Amino acid sequence: MAPMAIREGENAFERTLGVLDMIYEFPDLLTDDELEGVAKYVNPDIRNTALGLFELPSARNTEVLFVKKVIDILREAQRAQAEGKKVVFIPFTFPPEIIFAFENLFPVCTEVIAGLAVNVLGGQGERFWDFAMGMGLPDSLCTANTMTVGSFLMGPGLKPDAIVSNSPGSCNPNAKIHAFAADYLGIPQFILEKPTDDSERGRELYFTYLSRLIGDLEEFAGEELSEQRLREVVLKSSKAADLYSEFWELRKAKPCPVPNIFNANILFLRSQMWGREEAIELLEDMVALSRERLKNGEYTAPEEVARVYISYIFALFDLHGFFTWMEKKGISILGDILAIHFFPPVDTSSKESMIRWLSKVAFDYPMTRQMGASEISLQWLEDIGYAVKDLDADCCVYIGHHACKHTAGSLTFLRRELMKQTKVPTLTLVGDSFDKRHTPMSMIQEEIDLFVNKVVSKKRKAPRRRKKTTSRA
Amino acid sequence: MSASTGIQEQAAIMTDYVAGWKDNGGKVLAYACVATPVEILEAAGLLPYRLKALGNPDTYLADGELSLLNCSFCRSCLQLGMDGTYDFLDGLIETNGCDHMRVMFENWQRVKEPDFFHYLKVPHFFRDDSLEYFEGELELLRDAISEHFSVEVSDEDLLGAMKTQNEVRSKYRELCSLREREKPVVTGSEVLALVVNGSSVRAGDYLEELSRFVEERKDATGETPGARLMLCGAATDEVVWFGEIERMGGLIVADAQCFGARAFCQEYDLDGNPIHTLAVSYLSNLYCPRMYTEYTKRRDFILDTAKRANVEGVIVLYNKFCDLHGVDAVLLRRDLAEEGIPVLILEKEYSAKADIGRVRTRIQAFMEKIGGGA
Repeated sequence: MAPMAIREGENAFERTLGVLDMIYEFPDLLTDDELEGVAKYVNPDIRNTALGLFELPSARNTEVLFVKKVIDILREAQRAQAEGKKVVFIPFTFPPEIIFAFENLFPVCTEVIAGLAVNVLGGQGERFWDFAMGMGLPDSLCTANTMTVGSFLMGPGLKPDAIVSNSPGSCNPNAKIHAFAADYLGIPQFILEKPTDDSERGRELYFTYLSRLIGDLEEFAGEELSEQRLREVVLKSSKAADLYSEFWELRKAKPCPVPNIFNANILFLRSQMWGREEAIELLEDMVALSRERLKNGEYTAPEEVARVYISYIFALFDLHGFFTWMEKKGISILGDILAIHFFPPVDTSSKESMIRWLSKVAFDYPMTRQMGASEISLQWLEDIGYAVKDLDADCCVYIGHHACKHTAGSLTFLRRELMKQTKVPTLTLVGDSFDKRHTPMSMIQEEIDLFVNKVVSKKRKAPRRRKKTTSRA
Repeated sequence: MSASTGIQEQAAIMTDYVAGWKDNGGKVLAYACVATPVEILEAAGLLPYRLKALGNPDTYLADGELSLLNCSFCRSCLQLGMDGTYDFLDGLIETNGCDHMRVMFENWQRVKEPDFFHYLKVPHFFRDDSLEYFEGELELLRDAISEHFSVEVSDEDLLGAMKTQNEVRSKYRELCSLREREKPVVTGSEVLALVVNGSSVRAGDYLEELSRFVEERKDATGETPGARLMLCGAATDEVVWFGEIERMGGLIVADAQCFGARAFCQEYDLDGNPIHTLAVSYLSNLYCPRMYTEYTKRRDFILDTAKRANVEGVIVLYNKFCDLHGVDAVLLRRDLAEEGIPVLILEKEYSAKADIGRVRTRIQAFMEKIGGGA
């Protein structure tokens, strides 16, 4: 293969951080005028990121704080190698707290890098995907992971020292691109396979695999996992989980008091910051703000028109076009597949009990739980059905992605059974969370608008039919 | 049971052999992946039937359940399941070979509700802990078959089936050596046809047919082919594709496919616990890109085969949306090129006739590049 053209400064991580640094100069309380200035100043490709994060006054201060914390942790990742730590890439289906428990390791979530590149860089990271395609990789891979890998193969800057992949068992494309990156970069790959076995036997095997992974990471990091450090991380993770549960409860209120953009914040926090104090601080801030909105009956639109559950993943390439647009329309986004967490009660009595706890968290981690289940379609249905019922959603929107062969092959079943079980209709769209070239946001908006107006709002307004009573003769 | 197993019969899903087996009260249990130890089925007195689509181009029923983003081979197989072609099956064994296969099986199970359905979970790497689990999985499969079909599958029965498989696989290897000769006496299409057909015949019955074929050919005189090719990539039962390539002057003198050489590289030591031996042998000999940490092993297997067969070019063939083979292909192209072996990566749709012209052009160009062809 021909040598790659490496151009200075094109690594997504470095470039993203460079652009984000600008936000550090923002005042904590951003005025409308200042926001207007920012929107005019930034590259047009990312104007909707600025507007998506900061336009709605109710969440603006929280979002400024959020972005500053994001920058802090990225800077920490950037410094990690110089400070003698090893940078470990993880996917967003892997609990980062496991890596944070090591003194000498620092996790960087691959999907987070792609998400930042898409939302912060001019060109929205498309060049990194194109570069990967230029290497001959198939175009049916996961955009997020492929973009990140493309970026790291393309340009100088932060390079991972290892990759932890927990996709084997639950996702072919991701497991494969991780293996490819490890091979290409010549770095170790540590695997945590998800047995597609929901029985106790499968769970026990997973615990064995995780224990083995921790042993391998200990060797790689050159340190024994400290029980004390692990306890600190587990307690922080558990505290964040409690706050997350509060969020879930708050989302049940009508109208939903949680700003739509918080869905994206939480996804970032869970993927990159869980197990850290910063995640708790931000969650506390977001919970407090949502509680306040609930107390005051605050809602962005005149009324809540629809409560939507995204049965796969949000469209993340246009924060304003997706989250803010729906919020202004009175469409509350209640979550996506990545928002369905099952946190068991924590037990910090011993190192083993904590690893067992982490094993349960990781086994039931979003997407790992559904796509790595004994029966993918049933588990997906059960979990989306649970979210829909618990949060009283009116409808689901599925924005399918070419990489996810599981959901593509189970959608007919999900849509049909969800309708039968919950009377909730599903809008099916083909798109890509990270690459606008598949389906532009204007088209996603048009479809959702039509669906909400023609199907959902009519359903909400329709008088409930009385159940017929039958008498037995 | 003895029945005709002529290789021409491969063009049918329900062959005379299968029909005869059913007429005599035999049960047929289908599987899709080479990770399924057929010896357990053989030992239970069942007919192991590897799912195939034999170039069936229709997917209209399957597309209602699966999606166009799913592999067209899986959609084609599901179509045959849904349209009744596979109604003669007495059960299905699912494996987690790939994501496409998993959703194919889930939909098949839901739509057709087979009498027997078992999910055999195959780990994605070979290690002591994953091996122990896989051994347990094989025991569960044995128990499930015993219970459902009311048969006892003893260790002795298993050892007997393994002994027969040793003989069949040895014969297959001998068959492959005939096409690796300087002047091959067997074509790649013939080998594929034999493997495809053999995957729905009981091993003992097929051994006779296979032996006869090898005996007939081994003293024949062959010709120097235009180009010596090796075929790698995803599972394909499309003999027509092999024929298409060979009609252009190339000869497929080697392969690394699971309807091919990857299916018969094991050889059992019959002294130990049969379930343990099966688990070790199957899990350590998959050579499939689903084994994420074993790329080097796969590459070496391909390189060794290519060198042994004096291959001039490798074609990596896989169906659209197959990420496993699609990614491996990039690494293979790099590594084989370093060894001086040119690689053609060919992504296509299963059985899409519209693809033939495009693919033919690419193969012709490849042949010209490597200096072979008609």
